[in-house]
Amino acid sequence: MKRIGIFVCHCGNNIAGTLDIDRVVEAIREFPEVVYAIDYKYMCSDPGQQLIREHILEDQLDAVIVAACSPSMHETTFRRTAEAAGINPYQTEIANIREQASWVHQKQQEAATNKAIETIRTIVAKAHYNQSLMPFYLPLVKRSLVIGGGIAGMQAALDIADAGYPVVLVEKADRLGGRMAELSGLYLDSDAAADPLGQKIKAVTHHPNIQVITQAAITEVGGYVGNFTVQIEQRTASPADQDPAGELVPYSFDIGAIVVATGYDLYDKKNLGEYGGGRYPDVIDGLQLEEMLRPDGPTGGRIVRPSDGKVPKEMVWVQCAGSRDPELHKPYCSKVCCMYVAKQSMAYKQQVPDGQATVFYIDIRSQGKDYEEYVQRAMEEHDVLYIRGKASKVFQENGHVTVWGVDTLTGLPLEVEADLVVLATAIVPRADAQELGQRLRVGTDEHGFLSEAHPKLRPVESLTAGVFLAGAAHFPKDIPETVAQASGAASKVLSLFSQRQMVQEPTIAFVDPELCSGCGLCIPACPYDARSMHEWQHIAVVNTALCQGCGACAMVCPNKACRVRNLTQGQILSMMEAYL
Amino acid sequence: MTEPQNHNKRVLIVGGGIAGMQAALDIGGSGYEVVLVDRLPSVGGHMHQLSETFPTLDCAQCIMTPRTVDVGRHEKIKLHTYSEIEEIQGEMGDFRVRIRRKPAYVNWDICTACGACTEKCPTSIQVAFDRDLELPKTMRSGRVRHEGTGKAIYTLSPQAVPKKPVIDADHCTYLQSGKCGLCAKVCPVGAIDYEQGPSWSEERVGTIILATGFELYPLEKLGEYGAGRVADVIDALAMERLLSSSGPTSGVMRRPSDGKEPKEVVWIQCAGSRDPELAMPYCSKICCMYSAKQAMLYKHKVHHGQAYIFYIDIRSAGKRYEEFIQRAMEEDDVLYVRGKVSKVFREGEKVVVWGVDTLTGLPLEVAADMVVISPAMVPSEGTQALAGMLGLKVDEFGWWTEQDGNLAPLETVRPGIFVAGAGSGPKDIPEAVAQGSGAAGKVLSLLARWGGHDDQDAGHDELGR
Ligand SMILES: Cc1cc2nc3c(=O)[nH]c(=O)nc-3n(C[C@H](O)[C@H](O)[C@H](O)COP(=O)(O)OP(=O)(O)OC[C@H]3O[C@@H](n4cnc5c(N)ncnc54)[C@H](O)[C@@H]3O)c2cc1C
Ligand SMILES: Cc1cc2nc3c(=O)[nH]c(=O)nc-3n(C[C@H](O)[C@H](O)[C@H](O)COP(=O)(O)OP(=O)(O)OC[C@H]3O[C@@H](n4cnc5c(N)ncnc54)[C@H](O)[C@@H]3O)c2cc1C
Ligand code: SF4
Ligand code: SF4
Ligand code: SF4
Ligand code: SF4
Ligand code: SF4
Repeated sequence: MKRIGIFVCHCGNNIAGTLDIDRVVEAIREFPEVVYAIDYKYMCSDPGQQLIREHILEDQLDAVIVAACSPSMHETTFRRTAEAAGINPYQTEIANIREQASWVHQKQQEAATNKAIETIRTIVAKAHYNQSLMPFYLPLVKRSLVIGGGIAGMQAALDIADAGYPVVLVEKADRLGGRMAELSGLYLDSDAAADPLGQKIKAVTHHPNIQVITQAAITEVGGYVGNFTVQIEQRTASPADQDPAGELVPYSFDIGAIVVATGYDLYDKKNLGEYGGGRYPDVIDGLQLEEMLRPDGPTGGRIVRPSDGKVPKEMVWVQCAGSRDPELHKPYCSKVCCMYVAKQSMAYKQQVPDGQATVFYIDIRSQGKDYEEYVQRAMEEHDVLYIRGKASKVFQENGHVTVWGVDTLTGLPLEVEADLVVLATAIVPRADAQELGQRLRVGTDEHGFLSEAHPKLRPVESLTAGVFLAGAAHFPKDIPETVAQASGAASKVLSLFSQRQMVQEPTIAFVDPELCSGCGLCIPACPYDARSMHEWQHIAVVNTALCQGCGACAMVCPNKACRVRNLTQGQILSMMEAYL
Repeated sequence: MTEPQNHNKRVLIVGGGIAGMQAALDIGGSGYEVVLVDRLPSVGGHMHQLSETFPTLDCAQCIMTPRTVDVGRHEKIKLHTYSEIEEIQGEMGDFRVRIRRKPAYVNWDICTACGACTEKCPTSIQVAFDRDLELPKTMRSGRVRHEGTGKAIYTLSPQAVPKKPVIDADHCTYLQSGKCGLCAKVCPVGAIDYEQGPSWSEERVGTIILATGFELYPLEKLGEYGAGRVADVIDALAMERLLSSSGPTSGVMRRPSDGKEPKEVVWIQCAGSRDPELAMPYCSKICCMYSAKQAMLYKHKVHHGQAYIFYIDIRSAGKRYEEFIQRAMEEDDVLYVRGKVSKVFREGEKVVVWGVDTLTGLPLEVAADMVVISPAMVPSEGTQALAGMLGLKVDEFGWWTEQDGNLAPLETVRPGIFVAGAGSGPKDIPEAVAQGSGAAGKVLSLLARWGGHDDQDAGHDELGR
């Protein structure tokens, strides 16, 4: 015989406003093994939790049911509450009478009350069979892998390595720095440290805890959080060598946590036929102009026309080229181009003070600290001409590139004869992002950007435990936001590594060896790759680290050999009996 | 980096909004002690007041309560609410912090949060949490006075953590004139303490995270929009409360003056932002998005209503943000007018909005039922004073100054002191959360280097280092 106590929550008016709580409490007192039942306004509040603890001791309860909101809200809360009074956490159950009764049947008070009573009855039936369980402990490898050596990857690697943990930083290219190394300078950063990127790269390459592997690719990822095994292949030849494939050097690491920071590409300007992208040499993209602006670039920092090397007297920037265009290109805004166009146009005006700089825009998005002021400066101090309107066409004529557009403020069509046109092309994920995502079991959105676990509250985590996101691989971001997010990803890794071991929920599947016939049906049924055949015994086995307790295996097993702890077929049947 | 002499591994976090809570949970969850200070009686910050959140429209309370509850019950997080920092001395590795707790006039140690005091208190007051929205008498019957709020003894909100009441001394009859004393009579545990004064405590910590957040630029300073004196002209946070199912109208769309359903609502963006002459020169970053959100939610409640948004530029640069605005325009028929509003005034039942549509060049007049102002975000009051105590800089508007805007957005110029969230400039929730975790990462990195916490030593050298 168990001694079950039931605690019914009003949730303010959320539950009590609809249900007849007195009737609920009266009814459930009569259920088998229930020795105590009471209601309270907010069970999750401190006094509510205190009430539970008191009655566990006073009434010598050995199982607790809280009839309240969804278990996803407060199951952990109440398990911990009861545990503090000596109850095994897996002897605490939630009966959901809010989402499943009071909220959905607000207009039918009587029926809702009945439903709540029946819901509690089924949970009582389940509680009868619940066993006390202990969580599993699994080893935790305190080494992390960072994929991508741009500013995001480097920042994450440094934060983790500074904490004393080894980091393997894998970079596809032959150098670190990512796109930032291709930039001429940063907006807002005229007088900061001389070579901030160089300093970061140095810090990474000299860090005793960071092993950098350039020209490398992730070929295989196995395992799970705390215990990944990762295969890496490195090309030895530099891209300049005759045989670009070179020799392939394999590496293999045991890894506890992974940060993905693979960054972005630009939407190929060839896709922008309307702007002559890829057809006219004097129509370039943002990164091409950055290259010209770099003092160490091929033109020594001077802006010249690719076609004839002349200094352009008139330059046009076309913003949102391929962005914000759901019909033809990408529907989203690429977030950073408004700002770098202001930066580039000012740089141009400084080089060519009597030149004309014109920017076609739809909206100017300068939302960031000092960003608005920065764009104002471009307009006011540097006389950059901002025209609100989308450029419709770019074509080459008499040695000029002519831009057609409409000034939406005057409603008049506009034609600008330019010497050089810069397309602020959309930012897209790396071509192999989706493939890498699959390898890591991390989802991507319809554009190929990696998906975060929750758009607001879990922006640096993926839905796969132990895999975190940083930088523009997740969505276009500028450097300040990238750096903050990278430190955020590092925080998640450090949090994980601060544990001694990995803790795994015990409410997972197990196989009854007496009943299993070795048919193997459960193996493909498992969505988490947690099941396999035992090496020599002819039965199925469960990988406790991968199993999520979803129950899919139990559904397909013809011999009732697969079961999930504390949710066995027997329990489900008795719950159904109780309900009917 | 120079290593400090002392290695106190406790962490002070100032501000318990979503950024501060995220940092506290990351650090506490890693096994280190956190001291979390907030000046309000309960944690949660502004997110607590929001209705639903862009771009997915999930209810703020629903996604937030698991966090506030976690913070409230976390064994490693020590809460000092209703408290402010009075003094900080020392340096990285060894700060001494003096914390002043305001008098709540309630002994929280014994209060059981039964709510009897608020229930019986005869003095109704405006609810600051609801932006002082006063709903008209005609609506009173329908108005839900949320449990525990709206009286001289109140809890911050029904879901407050900690859920303990405080007395508003300016309005309590007993504290003002010695009469009443009802709450003390009804309190079953004798928790009311009219003699309670402020109290002080000292905490020692090794690192600090500043997560002090923002406030809204006051309507009173926006003369062109009626300076807060025109009925049915409200600010955006008040609109959040009107839209919230836990707000003063339980989410039913009503305008404050007469409780009628507003059929035409105008949003005015960039109010006090991007206005170097009269107010703030900067862009407040999030108002474009929340205005679209509010207009959408309004349309979901008042299907035949008309929503207008006056804007200069629409700034929707974020994952699924642009698409969100498109949805507001296309699916919910929100009418976007590019232009600035020159004047807002009352004419009978209506609030008249004068503006210019800069796309047509024509003047425009809308006779609206309600106007929602999206005011500039400004730093929390007291940020500057706190900066003074810490020897840190704030910029000309009062936002925390980062060590480097590009590459060190979470560090300050002082080692061991970090910033996170909207205190260093306007930010939305995802960015505030990422920064909260980011600042936690910086701190965890230091703490691990300082030897980690006691439970982890065994695991630390598993790799044979
Ligand atoms: C024209 C232009 C100008 C800009 N100007 C500015 C500016 O002034 N200020 C500012 O703040 N921001 C600016 N930006 C934005 C800035 O470039 C990004 O914020 C920043 O580079 C993002 O860094 P990241 O590390 O996330 O990505 P990246 O810089 O793209 O780095 C990703 C790294 O991962 C590597 N990688 C990719 N795939 C793999 C793989 N499968 N395996 C291993 N390695 C891989 C890549 O080789 C690269 O090194 C500009 C962007 C553009 C296009
Ligand atoms: C009308 C409106 C609607 C919004 N809608 C959305 C939305 O839909 N989606 C979205 O992503 N974002 C939205 N936001 C933005 C969101 O509110 C912020 O991103 C978020 O609240 C920032 O969190 P924070 O922790 O940085 O600051 P805050 O929430 O401001 O928290 C700061 C905390 O610090 C405390 N504090 C301040 N100074 C001190 C001090 N000196 N001592 C002690 N304590 C102190 C305060 O009491 C407060 O609790 C909206 C904002 C507004 C105004
Ligand atoms: S950041 Fe600016 S230029 Fe880039 S897509 Fe967005 S609105 Fe267009
Ligand atoms: S319960 Fe689900 S995750 Fe676990 S083994 Fe069965 S199918 Fe796989
Ligand atoms: S003493 Fe003050 S707080 Fe208490 S009931 Fe009276 S007015 Fe309200
Ligand atoms: S009546 Fe007393 S115990 Fe109840 S909430 Fe008020 S102060 Fe706390
Ligand atoms: S976010 Fe939009 S409404 Fe807010 S100040 Fe910036 S441009 Fe104006």
